[in-house]
Amino acid sequence: MNKSLPISTLAQMQRNFISDCLSGKLTSDNMLLTSGVDTRFISAQGLMGIYKNSAIANITQALSLTYPVIEKLVGKDFFNAACRHFIRDVWPESGNMDDYGSEFPTFLAEFEHAKHLVYLEDVARLEWALHLSSLANNAIITDWSTLAYVADILQLQFTLSPSIQLIRSSHPIDRIWQLNQHSDLQDNQVDLSLDDETRNDILLVVARPELKTVIFSVTVGEFEFLHCCEKAQTFEQAITSATLKQADFCVEESLRNFIERLVIIDFKDKE
Amino acid sequence: MQKIKGVGLGLRHQHFQDFIESKPDVPWLEVHTENFLSQNSTSSKYLATIRQHYEISAHCVGMSLGSADVACPVREQHLQKIKKTVDWLQPALVSDHLSWSASDGVHYIPDLLPIPYTEEAFDVVTKNINRAQDVLQRQILVENPSSYLGFVDSTILEWDFLAGLYKATGCGLLLDVNNIFVSAHNHDFDAHTYLESLPVDSVKEIHLAGYSIENIEGKEVYIDTHGQRVYDGVWKLYEQAIERFGALPTLIEWDTDVPALSVLLDEKCKAEAIINKVLKHQLKL
Repeated sequence: MNKSLPISTLAQMQRNFISDCLSGKLTSDNMLLTSGVDTRFISAQGLMGIYKNSAIANITQALSLTYPVIEKLVGKDFFNAACRHFIRDVWPESGNMDDYGSEFPTFLAEFEHAKHLVYLEDVARLEWALHLSSLANNAIITDWSTLAYVADILQLQFTLSPSIQLIRSSHPIDRIWQLNQHSDLQDNQVDLSLDDETRNDILLVVARPELKTVIFSVTVGEFEFLHCCEKAQTFEQAITSATLKQADFCVEESLRNFIERLVIIDFKDKE
Repeated sequence: MQKIKGVGLGLRHQHFQDFIESKPDVPWLEVHTENFLSQNSTSSKYLATIRQHYEISAHCVGMSLGSADVACPVREQHLQKIKKTVDWLQPALVSDHLSWSASDGVHYIPDLLPIPYTEEAFDVVTKNINRAQDVLQRQILVENPSSYLGFVDSTILEWDFLAGLYKATGCGLLLDVNNIFVSAHNHDFDAHTYLESLPVDSVKEIHLAGYSIENIEGKEVYIDTHGQRVYDGVWKLYEQAIERFGALPTLIEWDTDVPALSVLLDEKCKAEAIINKVLKHQLKL
């Protein structure tokens, strides 16, 4: 066994390896890991390219799992190319790939080749919301009968389930998402102009009441009400804000609906 | 520790519903631990249902046992998450690879990167395995890597490196027969010598998968993609592995372009046929 010390330490080798993997184009000039590599069959660039491509493929696969509708909308080749650009800017920071990809919607909005697909960013935001919702902690639901004993209900704060995500968009992203869940649907056209005419934003709640994550739309008042709950505002503040947004906002009906659908799961005194 | 036997399958999310609804006859399933780091996730809820009917093995990809920075925070944090999942899952086996993916706690490369087989690297991997086994409070299995790149500074043969780790740490070995086949082709070594050099008692589980072939600079390179059926050459090597190490728990792995479950079940039958053939032959002797 050769007892001579390696040219570089393991740590240095690993730094060089990562540096090469993160560099844009691998050339003999910019590569750090060249001298210590066995190049009898393939050059150091060729060898490093295998690992670089493999890492990018693994990261792309993780993005594909989080953003399946985006992949379907733009096609596999375009998606893979977009991911390569994205990965160049945003590299994973841990071994937990569930944490990776939150910046993808913003990236898509700014991605030159996708700018004409104006709805893409919001569809991606919806998919990220679904991803977060699917990872959320279990909801611990309160005993609602105790609400009857509260002295001043207006000063309570209502708590949303950990799986709740609120999404607003000026595009019909819920229909786009729904139509791309099944490949065998005949009618796969979404009329984007409808929303331009009505000028109404799409207001969505993403929730995981049981095993599966679901999406449903709410009124502007309900959306504001939930948004206030999310910000830990009091019941009174939430009603006021919701009514300002929607004059006919019916708090009793909405609250009952949200409790039944496990969107609101608990209450507490004002902090 | 629970015992697993026979030929298992890698559980992928595409098949969750199949395992819940039709409960195919598979003795055990292997999961990628990193896909279940949140025990409240939808995936974990599916797994909780599936594991009521199947023994589970936990296969990790991110412990980065070859990282030079032994006490690196990003790795330590990951190890703690693995522990939480392992404690929840109570798997029959826990494994990871002889590779690295994190350095200096800054960047993480989600791939199984090669290490030079030096004495320095041996000390590092030994410390990392010991740390993992201390935290997890159990033996882990270390899988031989598939590799494309070799280091001129390597002074130890890969199979001697693995055998040394087994002796130094008490870890077991997860023998990936496809990886041996792939690396033997890429680095031009004898796969049979590899098998013959590992202590018989060290190997506790076997992996089988398919590779892809790429042409790089005029050289045919085998890439460990886990995206197709097991090649004939790998089946032959598997037969030799069963002859040497016995009827060990064997896993059919498929990670990219995952096909219908029936395809995996078909591969499982082939592995079972080889085990039966070897056992029958050995009984005759």
